[in-house]
Amino acid sequence: MELHQNETRQLSFHGEGAKLFGIYIVNILLTMVTLGIYYPWAKAALLKYMYEESEFEGSRFTFHGTGKEMFKGFIKAIGIFIGLYGILFLAALSRNFTITMLGVAVFYIGLLILVPIAIHGALRYRTSRSSWRGIHFGYRGDRKEFLNMFIVGSLITIFTFGIYGAWFVIEIRKYIFKNLRFGNITFSYEGEGSAFFWMNFKGYLLTVITFGIYFFWWAKELFAYYVDNIRMYQGETRLTFRSTATAGGYFKLIIVNLLIIVLSLGLATPWAIVRAMQFVFNHIHIDGPLDVNAITQTEADYTDATGEDLADMIDIGLV
Amino acid sequence: MQHFSARYHDGRRSIAHDATLTLRPDHWLIHYQDPSGELTSARWTLPGIVTDENFSDLFIFRYGSFPQQTIECKDRQLPAALTQHYPDRVFFKKGISRLFKLSNTAIAGMAVLVVALLGVAYWYGLPLLASAVASRVPVSAEVEMGDTMYENLLHGYDVDSTLTVKVNDFARSIDFKTRYPIRVTVVREKDANAFALPGGNIVVFDGILRKMKTKEELAALLAHEVSHVHYRHSLRNVLRSLGGYLFLSILLNDINGIVTVLADNSNALANLTYSRELETEADQKAMAIFQSEGLNIKGFVDLFTMLKGEHGDMTNLKLLSTHPLTEDRLRAAEAAVKGQRNVKEDAGLERKWEDIERGYHGDE
Repeated sequence: MELHQNETRQLSFHGEGAKLFGIYIVNILLTMVTLGIYYPWAKAALLKYMYEESEFEGSRFTFHGTGKEMFKGFIKAIGIFIGLYGILFLAALSRNFTITMLGVAVFYIGLLILVPIAIHGALRYRTSRSSWRGIHFGYRGDRKEFLNMFIVGSLITIFTFGIYGAWFVIEIRKYIFKNLRFGNITFSYEGEGSAFFWMNFKGYLLTVITFGIYFFWWAKELFAYYVDNIRMYQGETRLTFRSTATAGGYFKLIIVNLLIIVLSLGLATPWAIVRAMQFVFNHIHIDGPLDVNAITQTEADYTDATGEDLADMIDIGLV
Repeated sequence: MQHFSARYHDGRRSIAHDATLTLRPDHWLIHYQDPSGELTSARWTLPGIVTDENFSDLFIFRYGSFPQQTIECKDRQLPAALTQHYPDRVFFKKGISRLFKLSNTAIAGMAVLVVALLGVAYWYGLPLLASAVASRVPVSAEVEMGDTMYENLLHGYDVDSTLTVKVNDFARSIDFKTRYPIRVTVVREKDANAFALPGGNIVVFDGILRKMKTKEELAALLAHEVSHVHYRHSLRNVLRSLGGYLFLSILLNDINGIVTVLADNSNALANLTYSRELETEADQKAMAIFQSEGLNIKGFVDLFTMLKGEHGDMTNLKLLSTHPLTEDRLRAAEAAVKGQRNVKEDAGLERKWEDIERGYHGDE
């Protein structure tokens, strides 16, 4: 087994800008023509495409979610949002200071509760609908536990004027990775709040001092901190993730993508997305002796897609 | 009997088996070697086979309940063979996903169509929708909404309360023939500008008052703004700009934008522009008010001439953009003057006007 010493694996992305452009165009057209009702199907199409162009060890990933499943979630999410905005709007119309403030409070408390519910729901749904070689991903987090953690963390972050935010982000990552499954493979996240805080502190300060030039180094460090702290476990075997992204690489990615998007008035965005995906996949290495044939199915089916669309509405990007 | 090479996943472990797929009349047979080297087979009966919708040239089929077995096949002959073997069964639905496999020309055509549709929706669809919605909003709700906007908006201005009282007094002497409660606020701004909010609030800059010579000019300005209120032009515009923001934020997938719209929209009001049709409509209604009140329509001619002079030498085109003054409007007013018969001199209104004039000359 000494052959495994320097084993490393990578994901690869095979998507093409032209194909992605076609999908975007059809999606926008149908979403417009149906006054938005097509949105969940549009999203399913996009995810299916992105997954099936992602390859690991010669096999592509699959997204099993359907527009129909997400449509139910979409309707629920819209209902919840109309309710929240309705309260805010009516309160503002009352022109009574107390009622307005009450309305604003209900709105923000509602959002504070919705965000973790959305993250949890989206994780459950998205992972359960993702597979590779027929083996499904899964998320075993507990909603109540996550909700408590999230609300407490948010409040501390607010009361420490954002300083606790660094610890909070790490705590969330730890929780999510701890509960992430890929068949019988488990994960963990080994980052630390204080290191993350100082990295951001330094990054922010140097970015300001260097008039933004340091930003690319900061972005590189953040990416590396995310990736390098991910661990994957197959039985007794521990696998590590490693980032090879450089500040120069980030610079090229961001500047060229900006040019692509701006010069095409946004029309060439799919090509920029493909470049970004390739960059991310090309700069993540999974080191260690992974037995890609021995992952066994463990996760159950889960079909409630409400979280997925709630996450969209609050603009939480997953993946 | 046709055979296809495929990859098979049993749904329990992550092994990718190289397999052979054989199409039988009522089932598929999948042969592969298991890890110990023994030849194994899986049997898929037709009703349980599901085709995966996908965008590439890989054909994927699943079978059974969770966890499903999967086969992936790259052979392009497969679809034809399937139709030949199972003429009654459709494996590849002619669904929307077919659209994604169209030629580049078709995609480019669709892109042009999307851009055109977006343009049409933004420039034609939104105004239509806005006026349809506007006509269904009850007056009380409109007044309430307008008043809320007014309160938000007024923070940015310095109100001249003496002039406000006087101009309101002036406005009350004219019957504008509208259900809306007309309330005027004079603010200290040197631009020659005025605008109307939904529901009856009218904001007049003292800069425009100072340049007026006659009571008819003020009456013309007020009648014009009241007409915007009366025909719900401002509500239509608010809805339109709200719709515009909504449209853009949905397009850019930024739902947060909606919050910003609700918060900031009232501030954008001062910069709203009316279309030429709406301006003409407001002028016509305003002149009709003058007719029935016996006020001299020459007030409009003077007002427009004064504003025209203003913009001739001003670099600030703010009012020009709010009220696009055209020669046509001036000429329409001149024509209306000729048609007017019943001009009465209203001494009460004249006194109120003189009072306003004294008011702003007083603090100069």
